[in-house]
Amino acid sequence: MASGSINASIPSIPRDFGKKKRANRSAKLKQCKLDARREQWLSQGAVKNKGCKEELTGPRVSPQQIHEEGRKNTLENSQMRRRGGVGEDENENENGSIHHDFDLDSPLNSPTGSSVLGGNESGTNFTASSSSSTTSGSSVGGSITGEDGEENDNCLDDWEAMADALVANDDDNKLENHIDENNPCLELQSSLEHEPVVQLDCNLQNLGSNNENLTQERGVPPRVTPGNSRAWRPDDALRPQSLPNLPKQRSFPNTDRHYGQGVLPWGCASGVNVPTSCPICTEDLDITDASFLPCSCGFQVCLFCHKKMLELDGRCPNCRELYKNDPVKVEASVRRGSLMELHFLAFANGNKKEQSSENIDGCLSG
Amino acid sequence: MNSQGGISMAGGVGSSATATSSWVSPTSVSTSGKRIQREMTELNMDPPPDCSAGPKGDNIYHWISTVIGPPGTPYQGGIFFLDLMFPSDYPFKPPTVVFKTRIYHCNVDSAGNLSLDILKDSWSPALTITKVLLAIRSIFTHPDPYNPLVPGIAHLYLADRAKHDELAAEWTLRFAK
Repeated sequence: MASGSINASIPSIPRDFGKKKRANRSAKLKQCKLDARREQWLSQGAVKNKGCKEELTGPRVSPQQIHEEGRKNTLENSQMRRRGGVGEDENENENGSIHHDFDLDSPLNSPTGSSVLGGNESGTNFTASSSSSTTSGSSVGGSITGEDGEENDNCLDDWEAMADALVANDDDNKLENHIDENNPCLELQSSLEHEPVVQLDCNLQNLGSNNENLTQERGVPPRVTPGNSRAWRPDDALRPQSLPNLPKQRSFPNTDRHYGQGVLPWGCASGVNVPTSCPICTEDLDITDASFLPCSCGFQVCLFCHKKMLELDGRCPNCRELYKNDPVKVEASVRRGSLMELHFLAFANGNKKEQSSENIDGCLSG
Repeated sequence: MNSQGGISMAGGVGSSATATSSWVSPTSVSTSGKRIQREMTELNMDPPPDCSAGPKGDNIYHWISTVIGPPGTPYQGGIFFLDLMFPSDYPFKPPTVVFKTRIYHCNVDSAGNLSLDILKDSWSPALTITKVLLAIRSIFTHPDPYNPLVPGIAHLYLADRAKHDELAAEWTLRFAK
């Protein structure tokens, strides 16, 4: 690593300078650009092939830029050193696989971009493997690193300020997020969790005078991540489309509530005023039986027993009055006028109750 | 098993034969068994005073019951056994109650048959064995001489209550103790 760092630092710095021309823009413009790219990447995140293409294109361009802008290396040694730290990683990437390169770069050079995607992956896709998260992160790095690296020099302070503003209240989570964020990227090199931190420390020590800048720079991604690693809100603009739709999930409890409300009247009707089982056959009363009031005395029986008793003598088992439902026997019992009025009143009331309950159900369902 | 036994037992009765042929029959048979089971449970949990009842054997449609002669009556101290037989379409039909113990009572004939309105025309499916036993216990204290099964005893009851009670106590001492 140490040997590679020297070679790597040289090519990486010219890249930064070449793009530095453009880097004179204000931090605001850059931020807008980055945001646009972020959204672009988020939209493209579903298609991994695109991401791979950009990954490939990114590194191919960089060597040419390195050659063109190699002369400007000598302008600022301090920046060289600084970028050298980053260059180490990039150098390894160029020597090794492109994947590694951008995985490592992404958290450092493009903190927001990588952190956004990382946050997405880690926050939403808990089952996502580390490889998938790294690939997404690397793709972002591929697209953004070229300009990000250069812009960091000029706008580092702005970045820090913005990051601080974004994550002012998440200071407590810094350490945890720092580890979490760096792990997926550095896992390619080492499977141990603590090793990446050690490597970072070594790099920082080697960098010398600009340690603080680098630490701040490296501190940025963890600071940004906590804000982004939070659960996505349904109205969040950056929310990936691949995430499950929360309103749909909410619809389940809603339907449950709806069912509960719809069932409640019946449950109350059968539970409070009505015996749970037929007193004759001891069978449980279903909804129809529970709403069946054959006699004005309030003695409820199930429909089967009612039919059976109509066949036998047609009298209520409780009050021994003739059941009104049988037309012949209704005529026979008309002579007891007052009683029949009571019967009809009870019948009408029962109908009203049923209608009201139906109306309630209709309102609930509608 | 019990329900089958009930069917075979009540098979001689015409009504049960028609019931088995109708579509309600399986329901009624099963419901009668369930109803009798529940009555047995309730009777064991809260038995009426001086009464006990339960299935004679495996057949829950055939019960045996004991009623102790209530104090203050000529039947005091006597233990009277009764057979309770449930029809297959119980509770829509009343159970058959037969005294197995000889008793000097105007409403109980020499064969033990019982004339009780609720066991005949006044039966209601809402009645239970507990209420039947209470009704039987009540005829010990209040015989109904106007609807007698043994008119001679009823006549004696109305004409010479003391003689009637003396004979009843003698029969109780002779057959029920």
